[in-house]
Amino acid sequence: MSKPVKIALAGEGGQGVQSVAQILMDAAALEGKEALYIPNFGIEQRGGVSIAFVQIGDEKIGAPKFKIGDIVIALSDRAVRRTQMYVGPQTLFVYDSGIQGVEGDLPKNAKQVLAIPALEIATKKLKPRVFNILIMGAVIGATHVVTLDKAKESIEKRLGYKFEKNPELRELDFKALQEGINLVAGMGVS
Amino acid sequence: MSETSVKPGCPVAGERKVFMTGNEAVCWAALAAGAEIMYGYPITPQNEIMHYWTRNVPKFGRRFLQTEDELSAGFTTIGGVLAGRRAFTATAGPGNVLMQEPLSMAEAMRIPVVVVIQQRGGPSTATVIYSQQEVTLTCFGGNGEGLRIVYSTSSLQDLYDYTIKAFNTAWKYRFPTFVLGDGYQAKMRESLNIYDPAARGIDMVPTEPFVGKPGKIGEGREAAHLRNAYSVEEELEVAMARDTSEYERVTPEIIEYDSYNTEGADIVVIAHGIVFRSAAMAVRELAGQGKKVGYFRPITLRPFPREQLQQAVARAKMLLVAESAYGQLLKLVKENLYGGPCNLPIKTILRPGVGITPEEVTEACNALLDGKGA
Repeated sequence: MSKPVKIALAGEGGQGVQSVAQILMDAAALEGKEALYIPNFGIEQRGGVSIAFVQIGDEKIGAPKFKIGDIVIALSDRAVRRTQMYVGPQTLFVYDSGIQGVEGDLPKNAKQVLAIPALEIATKKLKPRVFNILIMGAVIGATHVVTLDKAKESIEKRLGYKFEKNPELRELDFKALQEGINLVAGMGVS
Repeated sequence: MSETSVKPGCPVAGERKVFMTGNEAVCWAALAAGAEIMYGYPITPQNEIMHYWTRNVPKFGRRFLQTEDELSAGFTTIGGVLAGRRAFTATAGPGNVLMQEPLSMAEAMRIPVVVVIQQRGGPSTATVIYSQQEVTLTCFGGNGEGLRIVYSTSSLQDLYDYTIKAFNTAWKYRFPTFVLGDGYQAKMRESLNIYDPAARGIDMVPTEPFVGKPGKIGEGREAAHLRNAYSVEEELEVAMARDTSEYERVTPEIIEYDSYNTEGADIVVIAHGIVFRSAAMAVRELAGQGKKVGYFRPITLRPFPREQLQQAVARAKMLLVAESAYGQLLKLVKENLYGGPCNLPIKTILRPGVGITPEEVTEACNALLDGKGA
């Protein structure tokens, strides 16, 4: 029985980690895979670190939450600190290289720690609003949990109504997806 | 109440695979089961049942009443049922506590209310997230004998299946019936098949009014004499004897459980609800390695599958009870082992308000198999 890929995405509210988790999950569904997604939720309505737990595999997923992720992505300084607990010896830990002051807080027990200039690329080459899609590309590039085709189809499904008004956004999102994949492609991630 | 205008046809045509959250699944199941009205008061993590229900109310000719608290949500649900409506409510945590008074009345008057519980952390407000700490409350919460039926679900498929089933169990046996989920199942998204009950050959048990029936009392029919108050002790005793013996009589028809590899198992893992998934994954993996481990899952926590548990553990050397509570399932297990192999050592993973992963169950089993204790 193959184990599912366990993904934890963490960021500040508004960075779009929950949307990315849902798009990833929908893409997995389009692939005919099994998937389970659960957000963390607490009493606070805003202000906390937002975490999405996603598992994608060939068979029905077991427990909804997991202790140690295969890939843990932190998109803010607080998220870097908050996600330490999900990192273990098999974890690929990814964070945005633009995050300041977390050098001492990076996990020491991860399989690999990867800093990617996602925000910089999104801001300079694309638009800041597609930052989360770029992150999604990085997840796909590192894990291959879904194919590029299904990822695009899933984005189309969720954001199609926006693309109708603004077709350029589709191109921008698809470019961001590719940029994300490219970002990790050259970084020695298996 | 005026006639409802439930639109003909099932809101779910045929059968199809979907990815949705547990709260959505409950809503679609209630719609598919032909539930006419939901009464409710908001509380996390069950809020979206109400949200999805109210969104679909106009489309399918159903009704919704938001009450001022869970006490009235419980009582209005009873009112809906008295009027002959397939009615339900949903709550969690402190709301479940408040609802016990009306639910106790439903027990006394044998009113087939259906209640969906999405357990959150306790005691009191605690967390809005998850737990299995409402087992005792849901099974035995009233000032009575717990003459209720409680299904503990472990997946979104279960939530859908048992929500439909709860309406039939309630209306067939006339005991309050509960679907006991939790915050994880409420909020997570996974695949399940939703279906029109008729497409699977499931007939919905017809409903009928308890009061205001046609005909004249004393001529065409008896009076509908629904009592929750008695002035003579012996009268209560007679009523309780009637209801408890009826409950015991139908128990074998109602109990549900699941078990695996218990025949030659040294260790039987016992878990319910979402924790069962972790137990099942761990046990199947260990059994695949040739280890003598099995599992037992009570699906009905009330009535409890007593004989089936005793049979499943008859040859075991040790039990491992895993739950996201500090001994609520454990209490049920111990009570129901009496008369069977009740001297078996019981090891535990008790994590009130926190999830349990398959890895933790595997680790505990391996430690026990190695004789190290859990």
